[in-house]
Amino acid sequence: MSLKFSFTNKTISGVLTVLPKRVVTFEEEMDNYNFSTAKSMKLKLAMGYNKHHIVEDGTNISEMCVFGINHLIDEGLLSKDDISAIILVTQSPEHFMPPTSNIIHGQLELGSDVICMDINQGCAGFIVGLIQAYMLLEQTAIKKVLLLNADILSRKVSKRDRNSNPLIGDAACISIVERSANTESIHAVLNVDGKGAYVLQIPAGGFKIPCTPETSIMQEDSNGNFRSLENLVMKGDDVFNFVQTEVPPMISELLEISGKTVDTIDYYLFHQPNKFMLNKLADKIGVPREKMPSNIVENFGNASGASIPTNISYNLGDRACENTYEVCFAGFGVGLTWGGIQQRLGKMKFNKIIYI
Amino acid sequence: MEQFLEQMAEILEVESVNPSDELESFDAWDSLTQLSIIALASENYDVTISALELKSAKTIEGVKKMIESKK
Repeated sequence: MSLKFSFTNKTISGVLTVLPKRVVTFEEEMDNYNFSTAKSMKLKLAMGYNKHHIVEDGTNISEMCVFGINHLIDEGLLSKDDISAIILVTQSPEHFMPPTSNIIHGQLELGSDVICMDINQGCAGFIVGLIQAYMLLEQTAIKKVLLLNADILSRKVSKRDRNSNPLIGDAACISIVERSANTESIHAVLNVDGKGAYVLQIPAGGFKIPCTPETSIMQEDSNGNFRSLENLVMKGDDVFNFVQTEVPPMISELLEISGKTVDTIDYYLFHQPNKFMLNKLADKIGVPREKMPSNIVENFGNASGASIPTNISYNLGDRACENTYEVCFAGFGVGLTWGGIQQRLGKMKFNKIIYI
Repeated sequence: MEQFLEQMAEILEVESVNPSDELESFDAWDSLTQLSIIALASENYDVTISALELKSAKTIEGVKKMIESKK
């Protein structure tokens, strides 16, 4: 059973996705893997790998977020005075101290009456962040919340790990969350299983295992992938089984409390680990694949918590500024954490992608 | 589980498989193939098996027995 939330009179009024200009194709990196070309091409086809957007060395998330926020201010889509909170959901913080959201606050020269918080969440980061934004908006003092989902995990995956490298992408997404006249309820569900905390991890670099020359030594695993303790590692089979087992009943539960059926939802905008997993998930829930876009990984890569807002910008685009849709969001992964939100999405002021 | 051998043959990219065939003897045996078998177990038989369990099954028959024992 999930933890349940409900909200009214709140909305996402705009989503801006900031992507790095640099594009790397699967074929360019294929020779780094310890596999034959035939096996790599089979993997590419099965997982839907093609190209991904990757930051240049030295690019940090504050740069990407500030670039996007300034774009909104310059275009007249956001006023600094309306920002009451910056929620940054990331696993690519710039430092242990201070919070990266405070760095962004400083670069934007915002006033002192702003809440800044960093939330350490991955694949479910859009769900956790959006629930937090809606909770903050219950306070009358809060005008608009900037929800930032930003990750540059390409810098933490081993280039010789075909399990992780081809799927990862970098992105920063800015969602503006505010009050609205829409009285239709927003429903959310959230779950955690900390016993699975090490299914997806970066073992070294924190206080428990600080970086040393030893932690940077590349070692081969039983599947022929090379990585060090400083690289992201995931147990693909455990993630797959977790998603197939936990996500379908969570969606049933969410639709039940929303009073919706599988068919009455226009779009299922889910986190996208890879095409294989998402298509299996769509089949298990019984959603036609055209209602559950699975094209983010092949075009941009999976940027963790940024994948749902990237999905919104890329697959709905301007249509979400003109129309209104019943949507179901779901994020699942790191933590293990899995959650979903059912709400209306539409009449947005902006919904687009820009490049840095 | 009548179609199990055909399903395994398709995943392992061969014409047909025998119950006694060892998993590691197939050219296609790699992490992607293992995931495909895990997905087959989940989708068609509603059974969860890990990569480690799959490897310990050793043979086609071993995989079949593992799925049956979990049903």
